[in-house]
Amino acid sequence: MSPETILFYVFAFGALVTSGCVVFMRNPLMSALALIVDFFFFAGLYVLLSAHFMAVIQILVYGGAIMVLFMFIIMLLNLKDHELEQVKITSVHQVLAVVAAASFCGMVAFQISGMFDHEAIQKARAEHVQNMKDANDPHLFRPAIQSKVGHLAADFSEDALQKSYHAQLSRIDAGDYTDLDAKFPRDQRVKPKLPPVFKGLDHRGSPLPKLGQSSKATKINFGTAESVSVLLVNRFVIPFELTAILLLAAIVGAVIIAKKRL
Amino acid sequence: MLVPTLEHYLLIAAVIFSIGIFGVLFRRNAITLFMSIELMLNAVNLTFIAFSKYRADLDGHVFSFFIMAVAAAEAAVGLALIIHIFRHFRRVDVDDVSELKF
Repeated sequence: MSPETILFYVFAFGALVTSGCVVFMRNPLMSALALIVDFFFFAGLYVLLSAHFMAVIQILVYGGAIMVLFMFIIMLLNLKDHELEQVKITSVHQVLAVVAAASFCGMVAFQISGMFDHEAIQKARAEHVQNMKDANDPHLFRPAIQSKVGHLAADFSEDALQKSYHAQLSRIDAGDYTDLDAKFPRDQRVKPKLPPVFKGLDHRGSPLPKLGQSSKATKINFGTAESVSVLLVNRFVIPFELTAILLLAAIVGAVIIAKKRL
Repeated sequence: MLVPTLEHYLLIAAVIFSIGIFGVLFRRNAITLFMSIELMLNAVNLTFIAFSKYRADLDGHVFSFFIMAVAAAEAAVGLALIIHIFRHFRRVDVDDVSELKF
């Protein structure tokens, strides 16, 4: 059993247990502490999914900012023990809550567990692994987007994932937008432009200084801050700017709601 | 079956999402209710990132980035509401806040 497999089960089990604690603890302070631990387990799962940037953001934003806010409010309200609710079924509405959550869980879990030994998915995976072995030329390497089975890709090892991502980047760089056109058919007129740093150049077009053995000229990797931020200021720049307005509105709204009188 | 694949991540996300649904429907303490919502948002993020890896496509990361921004805004406004509710009722039970119901 590889370390990734063991770590996956540790993180998954931890996430499930702490999620249960969040819901079943009577004291909100205990729930909040369980939720912080839960966010760390989630960050571990993100790292296993090669989402390094998202793992860092998860700990900074969720584990740091949001949970500090929660703790602050819990301490501020300082609820006494008799003011806390009992976590047990006392009304019909709570019975229905149990039924609703259980039936949702059962329905979705049934559908997903059907994927485990689905013939078409296994076949697509085997094909993809074979493709990965065959094509060492990054320009020939077709990523998962071309997969026939409902866009479900093969099982990526870290190496194959980076290879696939680099292949996408080099195709975009070469002016081949077939992957993106397949993904966003309405977007054909707006072609993304990769920043010069991808080619080892600075904004003026002169070569970047090389740092030790690794140079910027090698392609950036999947899931790092660099690759996500390139998307954020390229294709998703308008939602990104709108997020700033959303946060400003939230700040103003929170102040107005929480203030006793304006 | 043992090596984690996409399905394993989806299954965990689904179970945690259901735990979140349970918390939202079952609990009456407004703070715990908000924490259950955060749990649901996190489960969705996990699904996005799992699919993102298995398609070698970074769009999922960007989406969960935006979800985190929305969660931060939601937590700020929601907790301000909780303070307001506490000032009015001297407790944070969501059953008290039923003026707009029906």
